[in-house]
Amino acid sequence: MASAADVRSILSIPATSSSSAGPSQTKKPPAGSTRKPEGISRELYSLIGPSAPALAAQLAKPRLKQKPNLGGGGKVKWEWRKFKNNARSDSLELGHWVKATDDSNAEYKFAKYNIQPTVYEWSQDEYVRHLEDSEWTKEETEYLFKIAQEYDIRWYIINDRYHYPGGPVREIEDLKDRYYSVCRKLIRNRTWAGDEASKSQLLASFQYDKERETIRRKYVAKQIQEEEALYIELKRLEQTERQFKKDREILLRTLAGVDSGLPDIVEDDATLIVSDPKKKKLRGIDLDIPQTPVLTAPVMKRPPIPNKNAESDLKHCIIRHEPPSSTPATKVAHTPAYMRSFKLPYPKAAIAPRVNTLLTELGVSSSRLVMPTATNCQHLESLMDAATNLVELKRVLDKVDQDIDVLKSRLQIREEGGDGASIDAMDNDDRAETVEPEGETRRSQSVMSARSTRGRKNVSSSPAAFYLY
Amino acid sequence: MVNYGGDEVSALVIDIGTSSLRAGYAGDDTPKAIIPSSYGYIPPSADGDVTMNEPTPTAQVKSFFGQSGPSIWRANMEIGNPLTEGLISDFGPIPALIRHALEDVMRVSASEHPVLVTEPSWNTQANRERMAEIMFEEFQVPAFYIANTSVLNTFAAGKGSALVVDIGQSMASVIPVVDGFVLRKGLQYSSLPQLVRGHARHLLTMPNAMRPPIDLYPYQLIANKAAVEPNAPPRYTLREDRLPGVTASWREWYESREVDEWLQSVGGIPDQGWNDQIIQHRQPKQYEFPTGYNTWFGPERFMAGEVYFTHSPQLMASAPNIAKPIPGLILDSLRACDPELRQVLISNVVLTGGASMFSGLSDRLATELGRQFPHFKIHAPGNPIERRYGGWLGGSILASLGTFHQLWISKEEWQEHGKAIVGQRCK
Repeated sequence: MASAADVRSILSIPATSSSSAGPSQTKKPPAGSTRKPEGISRELYSLIGPSAPALAAQLAKPRLKQKPNLGGGGKVKWEWRKFKNNARSDSLELGHWVKATDDSNAEYKFAKYNIQPTVYEWSQDEYVRHLEDSEWTKEETEYLFKIAQEYDIRWYIINDRYHYPGGPVREIEDLKDRYYSVCRKLIRNRTWAGDEASKSQLLASFQYDKERETIRRKYVAKQIQEEEALYIELKRLEQTERQFKKDREILLRTLAGVDSGLPDIVEDDATLIVSDPKKKKLRGIDLDIPQTPVLTAPVMKRPPIPNKNAESDLKHCIIRHEPPSSTPATKVAHTPAYMRSFKLPYPKAAIAPRVNTLLTELGVSSSRLVMPTATNCQHLESLMDAATNLVELKRVLDKVDQDIDVLKSRLQIREEGGDGASIDAMDNDDRAETVEPEGETRRSQSVMSARSTRGRKNVSSSPAAFYLY
Repeated sequence: MVNYGGDEVSALVIDIGTSSLRAGYAGDDTPKAIIPSSYGYIPPSADGDVTMNEPTPTAQVKSFFGQSGPSIWRANMEIGNPLTEGLISDFGPIPALIRHALEDVMRVSASEHPVLVTEPSWNTQANRERMAEIMFEEFQVPAFYIANTSVLNTFAAGKGSALVVDIGQSMASVIPVVDGFVLRKGLQYSSLPQLVRGHARHLLTMPNAMRPPIDLYPYQLIANKAAVEPNAPPRYTLREDRLPGVTASWREWYESREVDEWLQSVGGIPDQGWNDQIIQHRQPKQYEFPTGYNTWFGPERFMAGEVYFTHSPQLMASAPNIAKPIPGLILDSLRACDPELRQVLISNVVLTGGASMFSGLSDRLATELGRQFPHFKIHAPGNPIERRYGGWLGGSILASLGTFHQLWISKEEWQEHGKAIVGQRCK
């Protein structure tokens, strides 16, 4: 017989707790989380305890993933069973697969969807008393009700199939109006079993205003017509715009040169759609993409560039510019055709007025050449260069002159003593013939202006010499 | 368990078209048997020419149905097709065709299954009654129903109302369907596909600036051939032993098949309308005929398909009653419908039929509709099976619905009411 300590150790109950508990206290069963895993013997588990799950996992039998249990669980027996459809008037028996446990006498479950609309019928007496209508005969009314029932009061189909021999042409409104008015009259004039509320409700469901419907339909037709007209107008405008865009592109191309590097002109928005790869994918099946790799078709080559002929060039005054060899021959690097006179050099913005004046004095218009031949352009270019040089030189000369003046006066001051400075300044002002100076800044400005006028005078007096220079 | 209102009673669905007869179980997504509607037969008078005046004794005629029927060369074999303009015009071979599909291919007995048969929207009352008679009297079916292909196409697209544009082997039709019923006033159809085929054939067999006329010999008549460069004259020898046994109808059938194959492989429809510049830039496609002759087809391959959408002014002038192109059919059909229905229909255009798989057709149809209507939607299944056998698929759906089983015409009803029941039940 095992001692209490053995029992304790087997059940892995700590000795302290057992000692505090009285003998009457029931022993707690081991918690669910520390239950012995399967595949490991009880003795072994008590020795190693729950802290060796890896070992337990190895010892446990491998198991397959548990199958999902989708209701029932047990096997379902199906059987082929004949059934009768209550919605049918004959004795046709069709067969289908049902669970063997299903009630074999149950009503066919789809029979309940067979709903027939209420059929209104009338006696000869009722017709004479309430339903007489100058537009309709009794026979045609009966025909209408028959066909309405046949097509479950689907008015568009009734209207489509309605063909009463000898009757006038009926619009869908006429049919609806006659049907609903007959129904209303019958309900109103018959004894009503239920309460008033349900009667008025039923009457309301048969309410039909022919006038309003006719007007509405007319509006709908008119609106559709208007919308169509607008849509066609819109399409026309789009077309015009496309044409305009196309023309503009052609014009631009003509102006900027045939191979001007403009992207290919899109003739039609449509072509864009075609090249849209997304769309192609969407309708993959219809597309005109070869399923199997197809041999590439022979590609047309461009006509060769005509031979350069020096003689004819000379004869027709054609001058060819070799493209710069340093840049790669891409579209970006390509220079389009341009007018020669557009590329004439402009003087620098700072000295442009002076250069222009100079040229005007020479009788040359810098902005427009009457005959912008290659030679003339060259001449004008060199003249422009010379003029620019002249103006630049003059500026440098002036600066040097001024520096000499300043230095001279400083020398004078130094020779005369400290207070000669203001006098010299005054003298300088006098020479420039300016009004009473107010301060240093003002004075220097006038100096500048004086110099500039003088400089201009000098330039204009001896242009030829400078040109030669 | 999700139940879509289906209750399968193992019905059979038979869809007879000009090109093929489709048969299968209701509830399936693909027909089990697809056999050509054309069949081969060897008339007994072929041995001697003297029997011309005698009425052909049908019992002695040897007929060949199915996949190895008309497509195999047999001496003196003629080709017949029971359909003209989509309607069954010759009921003689129909039982044999159906029997071949059900008993030889599917291995079922029709007497154990309810059968749903399809009909084109312009079918005649006499035709559908005859079909019911064949099914009840010859096949002893327990129940029968005849349903409209355009309604079935609408169902196959998962819709109740639609404008069905059905382009088949011989007929193109535009049919408005509302709540599962055809609006007969808007029914429009024409023999456009035949015109397209005729045009393509004319293009191929007439010489033009680029190439000589092309011989459309089927491969059964070619003994051997050698590979030649594109556009070079073909080098082939004919099977002289077979040539005397070739009948005109067999040759005609096979040549139109060659034309069809050419159309299906290289033919296309410019998706933005005819534009010489764009057509010039489309990639040419190579095609080789059974004779070994092969060449690149550039703008030529778009010419035949364009007939679906526009007719040249010369053609219109020479034949004013020529089959109307598709946009014209659609406009006429919509014009005949109630203005309130037009928007519903044009937003539910269902494109179906084998010839609607013509390369570029659905894109072009979208372009053409876009010119006329601000809002429209074309339902064109990408799956070729769904597109080609839309009518069968709709029948498969319909015949497996629980609520449909009250509509079957039972044998009992047939015996009681006779032919009149067909018109009453199948509206």
